[in-house]
Amino acid sequence: MTDVPIALRPADRRSPLRIVVWAVPIAVLLALAPYAVDPYQTILLGYGLTYAIAVLGFNLLLGYTGLLSFGHSAYFGVGAYAVAFMVKYLHTESMELFILGTIVASVLVTALFGYVCVRYTKIFFSILTLALSQVLWSLAFKFFWVTGGTDGLRVPTPKLLGFVNPAGADKIQFLSHGYYHYVLAVFIVCVMVMWVIVHSPFGKALQAIRDNETRARFVGIQIRRYRFMAFLVSGVFTGIAGALWVPLNGLTTPDILYWPFSGEIVFMAVLGGFRNFTGPIVGAVVFNYLKTYAVGFTVYWQAFMGTILVVLVVALPTGIVGTARLLFAYARRKAYRW
Amino acid sequence: MDILVIHLFNALLYASVLFLIAGGLSLIYGVMRIVNLAHGNLFALGAFITASAVGQWFAGSESAWLYLLLPAGAIGAGLVGAVLEPTLLRPFYKRPEEYQLLVTFGILMILEDVMRFVWGPYPLSATTLFGKMGSMNVGDWIYPRYNLLVIAIGGLAGVFLWALIYRTNFGIILRATSQDMRRASALGVNVNLVYVQAFTIGCFMAGLGGAIIVPSQSAVLGMGVDALVLSFIVVVVGGLGSLEGALFGALIVGVIREIGITVFPEIELAVLYLIAAVVLLVRPAGLFGKPT
Amino acid sequence: MAGVGMAGMAHAQEKPKGTIPDKPFKIGHMTFFTGAGAVLGEPMYKGNVLAADEINEKGGLLGKRKIEILKADEAAGTDANTKEMRRLKLSEKVDMFMGITSSGNTPALGPVAEELKLLTIFIDGCTDFLFDKAVPNPRYIFRITNIQSADGSTCALGVAQTWPNVKKVAHIHPDYSYGRNCFDHFSIVTKKLLPKAQNVSEAWPKLFSTDFTPHITKSLAAKPDLLVTSLWGGDYVAFYKQALQHGLYEKMKVATTLGLGSAPQSIGKDHPEGVLSGVHANYHFTYPAGNRWPLNKSFVEKYHAKFNEYPNFQAEGAYTATYALKTAVEKANKLMGGWPDDDAIIGQLEGMMIAGPGGYVYIRPDNHQGYKDAITGFSKNVPEYPFPILDPDRIITIPIRNITAPPNWPKGEPTSTYTWIDQTWPQVKAS
Repeated sequence: MTDVPIALRPADRRSPLRIVVWAVPIAVLLALAPYAVDPYQTILLGYGLTYAIAVLGFNLLLGYTGLLSFGHSAYFGVGAYAVAFMVKYLHTESMELFILGTIVASVLVTALFGYVCVRYTKIFFSILTLALSQVLWSLAFKFFWVTGGTDGLRVPTPKLLGFVNPAGADKIQFLSHGYYHYVLAVFIVCVMVMWVIVHSPFGKALQAIRDNETRARFVGIQIRRYRFMAFLVSGVFTGIAGALWVPLNGLTTPDILYWPFSGEIVFMAVLGGFRNFTGPIVGAVVFNYLKTYAVGFTVYWQAFMGTILVVLVVALPTGIVGTARLLFAYARRKAYRW
Repeated sequence: MDILVIHLFNALLYASVLFLIAGGLSLIYGVMRIVNLAHGNLFALGAFITASAVGQWFAGSESAWLYLLLPAGAIGAGLVGAVLEPTLLRPFYKRPEEYQLLVTFGILMILEDVMRFVWGPYPLSATTLFGKMGSMNVGDWIYPRYNLLVIAIGGLAGVFLWALIYRTNFGIILRATSQDMRRASALGVNVNLVYVQAFTIGCFMAGLGGAIIVPSQSAVLGMGVDALVLSFIVVVVGGLGSLEGALFGALIVGVIREIGITVFPEIELAVLYLIAAVVLLVRPAGLFGKPT
Repeated sequence: MAGVGMAGMAHAQEKPKGTIPDKPFKIGHMTFFTGAGAVLGEPMYKGNVLAADEINEKGGLLGKRKIEILKADEAAGTDANTKEMRRLKLSEKVDMFMGITSSGNTPALGPVAEELKLLTIFIDGCTDFLFDKAVPNPRYIFRITNIQSADGSTCALGVAQTWPNVKKVAHIHPDYSYGRNCFDHFSIVTKKLLPKAQNVSEAWPKLFSTDFTPHITKSLAAKPDLLVTSLWGGDYVAFYKQALQHGLYEKMKVATTLGLGSAPQSIGKDHPEGVLSGVHANYHFTYPAGNRWPLNKSFVEKYHAKFNEYPNFQAEGAYTATYALKTAVEKANKLMGGWPDDDAIIGQLEGMMIAGPGGYVYIRPDNHQGYKDAITGFSKNVPEYPFPILDPDRIITIPIRNITAPPNWPKGEPTSTYTWIDQTWPQVKAS
């Protein structure tokens, strides 16, 4: 793909210090959210942040490596089911152990899937990832004596940093405060790690592959190996998001492995703008609000979301963040002219 | 021995419909390089249109003329395709494929609700056509004649499509456009016209699949999403963009499903995906596909 | 005359005690409005609406609070459903939650309702799993339609009573918790009562599939005496049309758990007569018939007048649930005055015996599950209806206590009722 629009990597030109100037206040605002808005909004924001981690991972493939995965529901599901299995078979309660277990499980599954998928690009890559995610879905669906089938598996309130949430304590309070802050902390760590990855030589190599595969090969980048590594990192991020999502939902079902959820992950990335670092984060949070309220207000929520998607792709292909940046740049140009 | 014949019929029945759906999907991809995620919903649309033509507008009629209404769904789906391509898809050919996939994903969601809005939540059926033909004896077994009609239509559609692509001028233009759109255009081919024709044919096939299956089954909401996933298995096994691939993929899926249900009822669904996964491991571009 | 004979209705015209606020009573109703499940979801919603309209015509609950129903689509997936339930309670401030069709969704939403302290009457989603495991000690959640295990057991008892000589049994069940539950309970009951019966074939089509040809072939090939199926809705319609053309109904007896239950009008007159046709062990609008139970007659008439279709068990469940709420509110008001809080309403619902269109429903205090006598019957064509109904002369009713585990029976695997049948029912000797 050679048609990379210009001015889509402005973040590269910024020094880390300038990022801190606006990133820290946002983090502080997010941390204060539970004290400012009602618990329901905080819980929704918590969902948005978990999705944001998933889409951040997804976007390492789409935005930075140029590979469109239509099967990221698989890795989200691996995270969720890893937690559920740890509860069911190991009676684990600690959230930290859940995340650790999820990372191990995601590495195993993504390594296997990635080995198959990264041999191909473009639409073949998309369909391979989709088909593999469907394999996992059908297994979760069929092997009900292990996975609970369509009933799914329940996950009780986890221990955070070793602290037990007392029995009978208000779950809403837990989700909107303790657990919200936990999700936020993991989110911030994930954002920082991803930031470092995409600005490292490794990240630059991925972008070189995306922009021109042949040229990247000439400068000696081992393309398949880099793609494989990107796939691995991407899957693990999405897996962590799945692990964080389970306690919010309380249960995991094969729904989250089914391919339309992969479509939603792509939707989120495009909604925010996948050629930006922050685009997927914004997209995930906004998507979560959009869908929740669409489902609440009309039975024709699918048509509503579909229309948004079509309009978005037709009119605002750079997504919310991309469009905002363009508007901002436009306004600045105008200001100079004055 | 008779039971083997019955199993074969069942497998062919399933394969015929799958071929119509997956063949259309593959044709569209082959010519336009677009994977149409809304394809399953065009199949559903065909089913709903024929069901309401036979089961509602002309309900109660016992006339053999009703069989002429069968293609209504195919025509309807084709018309929708003819409208969708120039309006919603054409702007995206020069854009990266993630946009193409997403726009068809959006169309999928919209069509799903349009069908619910038009036909309501209840299943529709057109079983007069299925019942009227009766059954015939196959040894000790009896088998619905209508199913054989479906198999015949599936087979004929395959032959027609093959003839259209390999034995007509239009087919030559189609293949030329598919291989090198720019050069075809330079040689005077009206690419836009070819695209809209190919897309319409693809949608027509999906609609035909829905239309011929609805008398023996029924039109239900959500059937499109399931059909899409199954046709993905077919194209994964057969190879995307290859008509032969769609045919063999559909046959393989039809046979394996039949064996799966008969021998391993517990894992009926997983068997299909596992086969797809195995094919992917061995030949990631499918049995008939050419990797990029 | 709405709900004549409903428990508590006699007091309806009395003035409520204390002052009652006149703000609307909001019910969040989540069910399938889209997808193939809508065939069950829509009637559920309509039953709720019918009851609410009747109550509102008389001024609302306690004559003051009009019922306002907020729709939510269950088809959005468990993740979205969980969020939507929280939104309804925390953001829309609903007073109560009703609905749910899928047995996959009550175990997901039950615990959420408990966390939210949201008064809930699930209409269906009748899996035993909900009160066996997911929420073993419910406080805020209730469920009105019969527990799922009753379905398979009722079907098996119907078979044992009608065709005691069956030896070879074939099964076709949708591949999800309902199908498995029916299979398990049918099997355990027949093991006890019909020891000579054996399973000779099993097929597990995916839920909401439409091609059953291979499953029919497989069942035919096993040459069974009896086919048991828990297919429902559009699945069952497609199945019976295909089975007819394969001559399946002529080669074996057929017993269904939900054949005539989903939407009465969706089954055609070509459906064979004499099929043991289940109605989810709950309700068919033709029973109790005529003037024997005026509640049913008036319910069916009003429902038909309003929606131009006949009610199914979901409509009956939602209608009864709405009146159960009304009764509980009125009783609690009589005791304490003013608008009763949730605890007072729950106290009245626990142990309530209420008359619905289908007969008396008893809400057991220990597990908050509604129990009513199970019913099944045989399909029959009559001139009055353009679709088959249950043969009025051959209705089978089974006292519900005979087929469900009693209170305090230890929780078991796969269900408490399963272990209870296994351990306490006498074993008929194979002779």
